[in-house]
Amino acid sequence: MTGARLRIFLPPIALLGVLLLLPAFGIQPNAVRLLFVTFVWMTASIAWNLLGGFAGQVSFGFAVFYGVGAYAAAILIDGGRLNPYLALVAAGMTAAIASVLIGLPTFRLRGPYFAIATIGVSETVRVVATNLEFTGGASGYRITEPRPFNQAEHYYTALIVAALAFAVSLFISRHKFGLGLIAINQDEDAAADTGVNPFVYKLKAHAVAAFLTGVAGGVFARYAAFIHPNGVFGFPISVQILLMPVIGGLGTVWGPVIGGVVIGVIEEEIVAYFPQVHLLIYGLLLIVIVLFEPGGILGAIRRLQRWVRRIRDRQAGKRTADARSKKPDEVLWGAGSGPGR
Amino acid sequence: MTLVDFANLLVAAVLLAGIYAVMSVGMTVIYGVMKIVNLAHAGFMMLGAYFAMELFERLHLDPIVAALAVFPIMAIVGIAVYYLLVRWLPQSDKPTLPSLLLMFGLWLVLQNLGYVIWGNEDRSIFTPRTFDVIHAGPIILPTIRVYVFAAGAGCVLLLEALLNWTWFGRALRALVQNRYAGQIVGVDDQKIASLTFGLGIGFAGLAGALLASLYSFNPDFGRPFLIRAFVIIVLGGLESVSGVAIGALVLALVESFAIIWLPAGYQLAVSFGLLVVVLIVLPGGIASLIGRVRRLA
Repeated sequence: MTGARLRIFLPPIALLGVLLLLPAFGIQPNAVRLLFVTFVWMTASIAWNLLGGFAGQVSFGFAVFYGVGAYAAAILIDGGRLNPYLALVAAGMTAAIASVLIGLPTFRLRGPYFAIATIGVSETVRVVATNLEFTGGASGYRITEPRPFNQAEHYYTALIVAALAFAVSLFISRHKFGLGLIAINQDEDAAADTGVNPFVYKLKAHAVAAFLTGVAGGVFARYAAFIHPNGVFGFPISVQILLMPVIGGLGTVWGPVIGGVVIGVIEEEIVAYFPQVHLLIYGLLLIVIVLFEPGGILGAIRRLQRWVRRIRDRQAGKRTADARSKKPDEVLWGAGSGPGR
Repeated sequence: MTLVDFANLLVAAVLLAGIYAVMSVGMTVIYGVMKIVNLAHAGFMMLGAYFAMELFERLHLDPIVAALAVFPIMAIVGIAVYYLLVRWLPQSDKPTLPSLLLMFGLWLVLQNLGYVIWGNEDRSIFTPRTFDVIHAGPIILPTIRVYVFAAGAGCVLLLEALLNWTWFGRALRALVQNRYAGQIVGVDDQKIASLTFGLGIGFAGLAGALLASLYSFNPDFGRPFLIRAFVIIVLGGLESVSGVAIGALVLALVESFAIIWLPAGYQLAVSFGLLVVVLIVLPGGIASLIGRVRRLA
């Protein structure tokens, strides 16, 4: 592998290796649970970023796919007695089908209008799911599996799903499809003129994102063994999924991963002590990020790096700015918040 | 369905349309001038509802008077929010992602401040009048709804007059048409934008306060109404107060008559279904339909 490729592929593979080996060293069950939850969130975060980050189509309705995935997995495992892993794939497919059904009308709307329509979708789906028979209605759905509960199995399932999501995100960011999505984000009409069909691209990105989110929902449902419509279809789920990539760095490969870790830790450590105010914290975070650092954590790091470099250059008496191209890294780590963004 | 039932439903729909127009018109003016889709609208509606409740409980104001008093309070809140937050957003003649996320964050903050201040139980405003009705022949009118309609429709008409006959209204409409051209001819866009934001938030608060005397509410109040407001705006087009009024009437009619076939739990699904139908059949809203008919004639 050449140097550039090594820089792209080595960190995720090394991280995956460490995480795969971690349970062998006997960490505490509570830490395993924290990591599990983080992986589930991270998967949804990476998925959301495909549509919301790369293509710039903000959706407030990803709880729909999370919930559909959770319910599909639950019903197939509990009622259908299907192999859990097949059920997870089926859950993803169901969510992807749902995404196409939702996307066909709503992608006629652009940008912010699409965003508001997705609030409508998620509200509607939640209301319908609460009133339906086979979801157990508002009282919820219990999943019983023939095999005993094994925490390590859930850990590895969530880890593999998150790794797959990352791989998909990395793949898309490096191929024509991803470039098309970024073009749509920058200027939809110009993208259409260069041969990108925005409607089809958005539908595809939506479907891939929904598939991953649905699988994440299924993984969570298996672990929790009990789901109810106001939980998995709830608005806070959509909020959280949207917030992770924004915190980490919108439209980058690593941003949603970092955001997933941040929210996973906030969710588990802070919310446990202040259950009332977690959405308040999220709201404040969102306002602060939008006003002060639209690039999220990665943007802040970039800014810090530039700042340090500028000071160092000044001390060394250099006057020229760093002219080296950062192009291959930009999509991975974000380009900061220059005037072009 | 007898003719009397039909008439009753029709009247109920028109009364509902009044309040729908009040809540949508605030979103429309803010969008028009700043091209910001105000997702925090629901949060301001919630604040308006609680302010009205506080005025009613502490100062024993009549709920309708309290609602009208909420308008200036919320307008000041809106202007403050404009100078604190909205002003720093990058300007654009299209809705931008940062503006959407900012307003969304603001909504979360408002909603959860509501939980912190007022708790999460459902509240409502009850007066001796709450269950009064007026009999107009065979048609039955709940009194409070008539008052709410009158207050709401009056304010919307006042807004229309303001937009048409004052310098502020002309400046506002100029910015709606073209922000840069407006600046060139001497409109202070910062000032007008801040006043517009106050006006929009004032209407949000008024809508919330008026709704508070019809329905019970909690800090999560307003989310279903945000979606309805959006449907109305898509239906009516984003330009005009009359468009909003027509959109509100259409949505109210569809919702009221859907109750005949659908359980009440699905009411929100009706408004969303209507949105989908409109987007597929006439993406330009009712205005484009009227335009098309006119072109044919």
